[in-house]
Amino acid sequence: MARAWLAPTLLFGPALAWSIAAAAGLAWTATDTAAWADLERHGDPVAGSASCRGCHPQQWQSWHDSWHRTMTQRPETGRVVAAERALVGPVGPVGPVGPAAGSGRQRQAGVLAPFAGEQLDYGGFRATMDRGDDGTPRVVVQRLDDAGDQVVGSPVLDVAVALTVGSHRYQQYVAQLGRAGGDDSELWRLPVAWHRAEQRWIHMNGAFVEPEGEVGSLPDYERHLSRWNDNCVFCHNTEPVPGRSDDWPGFRTRVGELGIACEACHGPASVHLERHLGNPLRRLLASADPGTDGSIANPSTLTPARESEVCGRCHGQRIAKDIAAVMRDGDGFIAGDELASVSRPIFADSTIAGAEGLEHGRPFAARFWPDGTPRLSAYEYQGLLLSPCWDPAGDDGLGCGHCHDMHGATPDGQPRAGRTGEGACVSCHSPDTLGGAQRSGGHGGHGQHVGAVDCLDCHMPRITYGLLEGMVTHRISSPDPAALLGRADQPDACTQCHVDRSRAWAAESMAALNLRSSPVDPSAAQAEERVASRVVLDLIGGDPIQRNLAAHALARPGATGSLEARMAWIAEGLEDEYPSVRWFAWRGLRSLVEQLDVEQVEQQDRRAALLDELQQFDYLGPIDARVEIITRVRALLGPGPLADHPELHEQLAADRWALAIWIGE
Amino acid sequence: MSADRHLRASIALVALFLASGLWLEAMYGLRAEGWIDDPLRREFLRLGHAHGGLLGLVNIALAWALERLATPASWARKIRWAALLGAALVGAGFMLGGLLHGPTDPGPPVLAVPAGAMLLLSSLVATALLKSDDE
Repeated sequence: MARAWLAPTLLFGPALAWSIAAAAGLAWTATDTAAWADLERHGDPVAGSASCRGCHPQQWQSWHDSWHRTMTQRPETGRVVAAERALVGPVGPVGPVGPAAGSGRQRQAGVLAPFAGEQLDYGGFRATMDRGDDGTPRVVVQRLDDAGDQVVGSPVLDVAVALTVGSHRYQQYVAQLGRAGGDDSELWRLPVAWHRAEQRWIHMNGAFVEPEGEVGSLPDYERHLSRWNDNCVFCHNTEPVPGRSDDWPGFRTRVGELGIACEACHGPASVHLERHLGNPLRRLLASADPGTDGSIANPSTLTPARESEVCGRCHGQRIAKDIAAVMRDGDGFIAGDELASVSRPIFADSTIAGAEGLEHGRPFAARFWPDGTPRLSAYEYQGLLLSPCWDPAGDDGLGCGHCHDMHGATPDGQPRAGRTGEGACVSCHSPDTLGGAQRSGGHGGHGQHVGAVDCLDCHMPRITYGLLEGMVTHRISSPDPAALLGRADQPDACTQCHVDRSRAWAAESMAALNLRSSPVDPSAAQAEERVASRVVLDLIGGDPIQRNLAAHALARPGATGSLEARMAWIAEGLEDEYPSVRWFAWRGLRSLVEQLDVEQVEQQDRRAALLDELQQFDYLGPIDARVEIITRVRALLGPGPLADHPELHEQLAADRWALAIWIGE
Repeated sequence: MSADRHLRASIALVALFLASGLWLEAMYGLRAEGWIDDPLRREFLRLGHAHGGLLGLVNIALAWALERLATPASWARKIRWAALLGAALVGAGFMLGGLLHGPTDPGPPVLAVPAGAMLLLSSLVATALLKSDDE
């Protein structure tokens, strides 16, 4: 009798028991309301990106390859991003460097700069970047003598780098200052940064749009020595808490994770992990439909408004509703919340309590063009809000995720596949329905330039400055140069490419192309536009942002006008009193000179001579050295713009002193 | 189950899972959506294809071994059923789990894999331990 049940029990029993247990577990999990409920996550701790990797390896990898991850790093733990690997080669930036090479010390992966004893002389001070005995990157600043040759006195700054901030355009460094009376809880951004593309040190005064300081003035030299704890910490880290309160001295700053990690966009994941690691059967029953989990936010499933607010938290400068609370505990925002519940975006007319008298009651006006369009980076969210594609109701309009993909294959700009150029627009705006599409020349009359001109060139022109770059505006609009006729305080899309043309020409061309335009009043055109293009006038007489962008436009691929003319014009910017303008002019001129035809014998020597001069030109260097080089460059390029109208040139250059501005990166 | 039927069914199982390999290869060649862009599905379909085919071969070996070892008929019939069912459950569990998967894990059919593995394992252990004169 025993034998009868022994075989089936031994052979089938374990599998049957497992099957019953699994079925019961599935049934229990499926009916357990706690396993499926939407969970409250405000105030939850951050779990860290490493905890996401096991279940979401692809998403983790695309994040790991992004510039978001390297927003803030510790020097000893940072890893170079994929894009940086491409720049420095397959072995990465690891290898013996400078004086440290002999000892076998290796460059730390999170630090882009060599820190091998490089020196940067600027503003009467010499910064030396090297390493301490333990290999920690170090910055030492010493005052220079009147001749600018020798250091005098003890260092005014001697600090070890505690954190790096950024890695895409330039990398900034943060340290405890250790000065008398200083607070150990405070970290400060140092006055020098490593410019990645140029592989050189720059002074932060050169990255800001403001005039240079007085040589030898320490306050001017340290103008951008800003405190990390209540500034940089916000948009360069995950779930930052400044920890500033009247209840305790100094800061008790903490971040969920250094850099912009998974939970910056998805919110705290601790309950998500608890739900899915605590019961594996819950994972088996999870819906393949994203956004249905209830324990984590997925921005791609939020409405365009909510999804864009996740980005707008950092890519749209804001004013907190309760500044003291944010300084103490952070803003408490998590993906899916209304951003307006914790802050309001800054616009041109925004005010803050206690600063009503500042800048005529409009403390932020200089950050916007006169029509309210943001002209600095980190205001992309405001640009979107001002666009006609935005739906104020928030359910059906354009969101950041339409054009950007945080888990795509391209770290630079993080464009969504197929959504660059005209691909960004045609999914909503069918080419068949666009005015003029059916006739020769196509919509906008630029059909013959397909490939060179796309929707973004006209509807999202490069009229934004940020991080020593000219960037596309995120306020989508239709060009209307006629509306700006007679004004010189704002660029238009047309003349940013047609750099050899006037705004009056652009306004009349709109009508000729049968495009919508404000009424054209030729008598409104500025008289000086008859002798110089709009961009050239901006380069000479615009405000510093206009001058930056004018120099940038003159060197852009696809800009109209002869190479010779553009080189002669852009060299004007080398003489500018703002370092940022000199940077754009220097970089732009170099790129134009490199385009000179090397096949022509007479151009070969000129090209080599110009490149040699530009190699020696330091846009942050002493003015005497710059003037000498500019004189030689001018001799090679011929007369500058308005050479036949010196009075007008003088007038424009004089007028721009009234346009001086002091604004951020 | 008779020895002949077990052998034929085992060969059929191998043929079935080998044929599934042709399907997977075709999807790769055709860059089929839902396959080429879904690493989790690819992994579990491959696991199903490999396990189903290999465990079919194990069944062929087991069919031969049961004859060679003269395993008692009352046990052999049940061992054949368990081994064949186990191989089918492992292969099909992987494949269905991959086809019906969620965002990070295979679907519930993958729970059939441990059940199938237990069936096959107990079959092999029983075959190894039983003697011809056991009842």
